[in-house]
Formats: sequence, structure tokens, C-alpha cells
Amino acid sequence: MTRTFLKIGFAQLSDCAPLAIAKEHGLFDANGLDVELARFASWAAMRDALGAGIIDAAHMLSPIVVASAAGLGPFPGSFTTALTLNLNGNAITVSTELFHEMNEIAPETMTHCPLSASALKSVISLRASQGAAPLTFAHVYTHSMHAYELRYWLAAASIDPDKDVRLVVVPPSQMVSALAEGQIDGFCVGEPWNNAAISAGLGRTLITSGEIWSNGPEKVLATRHDWADRHPDWHRALVRSVLSACIWLDQPANRVAAARVISSPDYVGLPYEEIVGSLSGKGRQTAGRLHLDMPDFNVFHRYAANFPWRSHAKWILSQMIRWGEAPPELDSDAIARSAFQSEIYREVAASMGVPCPDRDEKLEGAHSHAWLLSTASAPIAFGPDRFLDGRMFDPADIGNYIAGFDIRHRGSRLGERDEAQVIRMSKAGR
Amino acid sequence: MPSETAKPLRVLIIDNDAARARQVEEGLANDAVVHSATQVHGLVLLDLIAEISPDVIIMDCQSPDRDTIESLRQVAQSNPKPIVMFVEEEGISGMQEAIEAGVSAYVIDGLTPKRVRPLIDTAIARFKLVDKMRVELRKTKDDLASRKAIERAKGLLMERQGMTENQAFSAMRDMSQQQGKPLKDVAESVITIFGIIGNTGGKDSQ
Repeated sequence: MTRTFLKIGFAQLSDCAPLAIAKEHGLFDANGLDVELARFASWAAMRDALGAGIIDAAHMLSPIVVASAAGLGPFPGSFTTALTLNLNGNAITVSTELFHEMNEIAPETMTHCPLSASALKSVISLRASQGAAPLTFAHVYTHSMHAYELRYWLAAASIDPDKDVRLVVVPPSQMVSALAEGQIDGFCVGEPWNNAAISAGLGRTLITSGEIWSNGPEKVLATRHDWADRHPDWHRALVRSVLSACIWLDQPANRVAAARVISSPDYVGLPYEEIVGSLSGKGRQTAGRLHLDMPDFNVFHRYAANFPWRSHAKWILSQMIRWGEAPPELDSDAIARSAFQSEIYREVAASMGVPCPDRDEKLEGAHSHAWLLSTASAPIAFGPDRFLDGRMFDPADIGNYIAGFDIRHRGSRLGERDEAQVIRMSKAGR
Repeated sequence: MPSETAKPLRVLIIDNDAARARQVEEGLANDAVVHSATQVHGLVLLDLIAEISPDVIIMDCQSPDRDTIESLRQVAQSNPKPIVMFVEEEGISGMQEAIEAGVSAYVIDGLTPKRVRPLIDTAIARFKLVDKMRVELRKTKDDLASRKAIERAKGLLMERQGMTENQAFSAMRDMSQQQGKPLKDVAESVITIFGIIGNTGGKDSQ
């Protein structure tokens, strides 16, 4: 049987595990695919390679796909996904100095878990009164969960991320050195880079992304619309292969084996000891000094993790609007439908006997505890989906949700080109 | 716009490969004011951009620093005019050409493509030139190494097997053709085998 050759891009992060496992365990081969994995050092480079057809699929930041569907960036309307690769997986880490400053200024707030940024707010106010330069925080890309998680956490403590601190983009692999050189005071990044800062004695992790939004989406398996439309069978074979890998990765016992696989220079290329915790969830640092077992630090399959919820896409869009990156009058239904192809996931899951939700959207933030989704092909156990501040996101009412935030960007920060693209996309009706 | 054509464009080259950055700089020096930065990352890079305020940024496509540059796409206090990827003007084919050459370029939004295109073309040509020179250099080194191996193998065959130089060369060439292996590989096998025989001989005589 001739196999279809595909090239897939990935980033040097722990959550490349589904692709690494699909490759190493022959799951691509079993589905008639001959896959070459290519590592990229920049999200922009991976995005361009996918957009220009140099690669067929990518381990991609979920917001990049939503941004493309909304018409933002160099490939308006090009990208789509039918599979979420993982939930959670990021964390916010600050320099040891800043952690001590927070402790000194507001020790009573530093014993809470999840830790709020209120002590940070006090540090920022003090620094402003002394005429000191604003603190600088880094994330990995303008349209990333990292950016939206960091902004959400700061704003929940009345820190305006666009006024009270300086936000910059630093690639994950340069985070630790930027912290060491004092270029930045903190960052939000995926693993193993938080762990690397802690191990080097340079930083403390204050909060994990799962504590900001429990079980929010992280990476997706992105493809181009034209490719997926032209090769529906290849696309489904690809989703099936990676979904099988995610199911395997869901078993706690397999996480250790997966850490060995991705520690190889072909993937993350760091010692196993530095990676294993991000996959096993053991001894994760949070609140600056606690070490907790967080089995859901990375979720690869349970809680229907791989289902591309359109309510996830719409939450991402809501944050783009909140921070002035996208205009408010967008057709969110059309954007979510173009970005997250839940029908394709449903079809593949059914063919594999994997239970799948019936609906494309859910109320986000409604559950602070485990719950059971009964509107599914078979009942599915879900983890909490709560936000740090207890807010609820109704995907049918984005406008009111955004209006409910005191801290948001009023007005647009869009460049002329992106603005024109967004308008063109809306008129075309996708 | 006459004011736009009057002033030469300011170009910043960001490339960790200093030799290549120099090549691109030389290529552009007549038509633009060129600055280059190597081994500059993160905030230092952003500060440099703010200081130079370039009209065009040319950089290695695969550089991790691209994500930092991309954040300048939005209007902020620090960048009153957003930058965009140049190839957005050119469509997918223009982008493929640039990516294959390893070049990515960002321009100040609103700059006319006609002014920038020649600079980008020069940069792409220089990237390709550096690439070609490196391939040739590698080939020269390989050729030299294989010539040395062949000479050494010939010498061993003449010395140990009593062949003439022509016989030794023909024997290796024939084997290379029969086995479909490069002559260099055959020569290296010969050297390895004589090495083993040589060592065994040494042990026997002890």
C-alpha cells in the first residue's frame, strides 16, 4: 500500500508529545500516512510554513487559528483545526527578586492558592510612586493563550496589562535567559521553560494556566482549509492518528515513557528529569512555593479534551476583542465555525468508538467541580471549567461578557491592513 | 509621494549569522541606509528597533526573534506605525520564494511595494549566494578529503599488494562501479581493511 507523505511542524515544548508519540509508535503508519516532523523555533515561521504549503499540518497555538479565521495576520481565512491537542499546560513565573518584593509588600495575600496578582498590584503602585520603570512581562505570541492568560490574571487584580506593565513577546527557548539577564521580570510560557527557571533558581511559578481557566484549550492540530477540503481522507487519517496518540498519553503510566521520547534531541532536547514533571504533573510549583501534584497540568484526552469546542474559539475571540486586537462587530458564529471544525472530530471519534459531545458549544466557567456531560454519544466525565474570578462565559452573548470587564482596551489597536482584511472577510461571509 | 522617494530607506538586518548579514549589508549599501544586528534578542532588540526606526527589517526566516518582531504588528505607544510582513503584498508564490531562500522581511505598513521590492530581491539573492558559497565550500572540502583517501588507499595497495598505481586505481574504480558506491567510500574501506590486517600482523609477530 502506498502511503501519503505529510510534513508536520512542531515547537520545542512538552505538548508536542501527541505528535512525537504518533510518530514513534507508528500510529501515522497505521493510518496510511508517512509523516516527517519538522521542528520550528518560532511561531511565525511555523505559521508561514503552514500558510505557504511547506508543511501540511502544525502543532499550533489555538489563537493563531482563530486569528486567521477572523482575518488577522498574514493568512486571513487560511487555517482550521478539527482536533485540540491539549488543555492547560502553561504557567506564570516571576523572577525570585519580584517574588520576594511581593512577599514583603503584601504577605497576607501570598498564602492563597490560586494566587492572585494583588501583591503584584501593590508592587506596581509602589514602583510608580517612586518613579521606577514599569515591570516587564513576556508571553510567546500576540495571539496566544499565554498572552490571554497573563492578561486575564493581571486584570483580575486590577492591573491594566497595556498601561501598568510592559508586555513583550519572547520565544519560549529564550525566556529563561531573558529572565536571567533582567530583561524581563516575569513570563507566561509552556513547559519545560517554567521548570527551567525554577531549577536554575531564577524564578518562582505563581500560578498555572489551569488555575486561571480550568481546562482551557492550548495547542491544536492546525491545517489549511484548502488542504483539508482537497484531501478529506488524509485529514481524517491525520486526526485519527493523533487522537490515538492522545488517548494513549491520557494514561498516567504512559506519561513517563512519553517524557523519555520527547527528551530526545529530535523533540524537546532537554534532560528527561527536566521534562517528566510537566507530563506527569508531579510536584508542580504554584503560589511561589507550594509543590502540588497536578495530574491535569496537561490534559491530552480526558474530559473530551480533543473536541474543538466552538465556545473555546469564541472565548479566544472575546479576548481578542477585549484587548483591542479585533473589532467587536464580528460574526463570531462564522469565525468559530471556520476555525474549529467540530463535525470532522465527531465523525472520526464515532468511527473509533470514542464518546463525543453532541453540541458544539457550552457555557464556560459554569463548573467548579467535576461534572458529567450527558448530551454526548455516551456520557463523558468532565473536569471543572472555572475561571479564576468565577465569571461565566456565555458564547451566545460575547458583547455583555466583554462589557462586564472593567479593565479592557477601549478602541482598536488594529493596523490598517488587518482592519481591511477583517472587513473583507466579514463581507465575504466566509 | 515625493517625500517618500527623496529619502533613502532605512534597513535593519537581523541575522545571527554575521557573515551572511555582512553580505546582505554590502548588497544593499548603495540603495539604503543599512544597520545590522547579530546576537541581539528580546527587549534589547526592541530597543534597537525603536532607536533606529527602520522602514524595512530583513531577517532569517527561522530566527526565533521573529515572534518578538511580529508583536510590532499592532499599534502601540512604542510603535506608532505597525509593521507587516512584506510578502503579504506578494501572495503565496512570493512567500514561498522568500521562505525557500530563508528570508523574511517586515515593512512599515503603508510603504509602497515598488520601493521595497528591489531591496528584498537583493536580500533574497544574497541569502542564496551565501547558501551557494557554503555548498561549494563543503564540496571542495569533501573533494579534498576524498582525494586524500584515494591517494592513501592507492599507496597501501601498491605497497602491500605490489600493484602499480594504475592497477590500484582501476581495481578501486571497478569496485566502485560494481557496488554503486562512491570511490571515496571504497578507498576508505581499503584503508580500514589494511588497518585490520596491519594490526593482526602486529599481534602475530609478538
